[in-house]
Amino acid sequence: MPFTILTGDTFTSTGVGVRINLPSSADYVKFWNVTQLGTASPTACVASEWFGPKFGAGASAANDGLRWRKAGSSAILIDKFSTATASDGFTYVTVNPYVEAQAANAITAITAASPAVVSQTNTYSENDIVRIYNTTGMLQIAGMPFQISTVSGAGYSLIGLRAAGFAAPATAGNTRRISKYAAVDPEMLYITEITKATQAVVRTSVDPSAYYVVGNKIHFSIPSSFGMVEMNQLTGTILAVSSTNYTLTVDIDSSAFTTFAFPASTSSPTAQLFATLAPAGSKTAFDPLTLVQTGYEFQKTPFHTGQFTPFLFAAGGTNSPAGSNADVINWIAYKLEN
Amino acid sequence: MATGITNINNMAPELPLQFSEDLLSTPMFNLIHSFGADKHYAEAHIGKTTRMSRYERLSTDGGQLDGSGIDPAPEVVVRSDIDATMEIYAKTVVINEQVTLYENDKVLTKFTALLGQWLREKEDLLMRDLYASSVSYINAVGGANGDQPSDISRADVNNIERILLGNDARTMLALNEAMDKFGTAPVRDAFIALASTDITPDLQNVQGVLLKNAYPHQDGLRPEEYCSVSRFRFFVSSKAAKLPGASMTGATVYTIPMFGLEAAAKIDQNNYSAVLGYRPPYVVSSVAQNSQLYAKFAIARAITNQNWISGLNVTQRL
Repeated sequence: MPFTILTGDTFTSTGVGVRINLPSSADYVKFWNVTQLGTASPTACVASEWFGPKFGAGASAANDGLRWRKAGSSAILIDKFSTATASDGFTYVTVNPYVEAQAANAITAITAASPAVVSQTNTYSENDIVRIYNTTGMLQIAGMPFQISTVSGAGYSLIGLRAAGFAAPATAGNTRRISKYAAVDPEMLYITEITKATQAVVRTSVDPSAYYVVGNKIHFSIPSSFGMVEMNQLTGTILAVSSTNYTLTVDIDSSAFTTFAFPASTSSPTAQLFATLAPAGSKTAFDPLTLVQTGYEFQKTPFHTGQFTPFLFAAGGTNSPAGSNADVINWIAYKLEN
Repeated sequence: MATGITNINNMAPELPLQFSEDLLSTPMFNLIHSFGADKHYAEAHIGKTTRMSRYERLSTDGGQLDGSGIDPAPEVVVRSDIDATMEIYAKTVVINEQVTLYENDKVLTKFTALLGQWLREKEDLLMRDLYASSVSYINAVGGANGDQPSDISRADVNNIERILLGNDARTMLALNEAMDKFGTAPVRDAFIALASTDITPDLQNVQGVLLKNAYPHQDGLRPEEYCSVSRFRFFVSSKAAKLPGASMTGATVYTIPMFGLEAAAKIDQNNYSAVLGYRPPYVVSSVAQNSQLYAKFAIARAITNQNWISGLNVTQRL
């Protein structure tokens, strides 16, 4: 049947959300949590359904869908993910980079510490990327994206922001979760720190190891408001990448450069922002002694689409479609004939 | 009211409507993101990644011989490799035979034209995404709207010109020489800038802007061109890049790539740059009632020289 596209698969949950690529799009998707279905009286989502835009008024809203759950007994309760007790559901994404349709999520504080710690009631996941704006007291970072870690419902840390040198903490602000990948990778990254050293260490606001490898070249754009003007428009080769510290070490001697520092919050909005780096190719090299080639990795180095679309994002968690750690999930996607 | 007159109230036309022979225009957005990119070609059967290489210039430091007979130190030549992965995109339309049987129009022809339009539009958006994702932009600060970035200003545009000239970028468009026409002024050889139609009111208010109608010559100008500011000629599209909620106050940020020659590349796969096809009903449908049209193309894209491309982040004021 030429119009019926049916695909499916199975995976073992790690407790976090999963992306299901849907090259032909989909009109209806069903998940089964095989592990929890086989359990007598769990408190968990055991199956879930998503209805696409073709269903019109009956289509599932973003981060929603039908939830089949058990609540400590063998009885099945059917409701929506958005109904009490609410949990994250399905989100169908057709464009990249994706900005979630969500209300401004209020920050109550960002510490002037290293790393900076954000206080905010949230439902974010570890390593999500959020754009921070409206930051009262820290206007110099307003508009920047940050990868978040040590996430709890009350806040998280920004490994990419060492704010101990800032004049004051932020007392308010907002966030919006954005895509982890740009439309095209390798992508431009925001710089938050550059050391003065014979091999400069560059800290970025997100984990750079997701996009860059040793041997890649990067081009610097450093506005004069950040101090280290000598680095502006230079191109360096990456010597080391740290996913722990969100840093790149480059072959540029910055030891005699002006110190890198964020402009003061009070100088916004007239201080030029931001300090950034962008991909400038590779310096491929081969060491015949160690047989190691650097400067190339098929998954990262060539310019390529950052995130395949369309995809269906199924949130992870006890009462969400992608389940809890070690749950076995089966799923099937349907395409209607009409 | 019965009048005894035969009129359209008691004898309606056999056909309640007629089909105008002139089809209305299909909307198409301005395609501005491809023409400034260098075109490269990839051969088949040798992998899906294309490598473009550039030898970096040699250092001009030192070099004087002191007469001692000692040779100068050799310099290791540096080569930069720019890689791009080929990707294939496709669109298909399936048509039931009753559509072609009953429609007044020649739908297969029209649908083929639509697929052709999709090819070029999709290609344009893919190049837009490259510029939006992989280039460093500087926030405009010379505007008056109080946001960060601000609306566009002459000082911001001049700053980008300084960056490009400082990196030895070459202009892309030739001089538009002066003529003795009222209200016109010459346009310098220029870099190009690609902007959203959302900021055209702000562009009109930039100090020193020269709207397209004030160019001395109109021959050969692209319809997408809007104006000239400083050393840049601005081309606009409703689909140009923008980032919702990305300014200091949460407003939409518009990214404006500004570049010269050889800053970016669009790589076509030989024999795969634009494929249009038709699958007849006996292939598509078991009862031969549905046929299929498709279009597909392969493309790879890359920023080939970051020194020769920069750009502005701006917000709206007007």
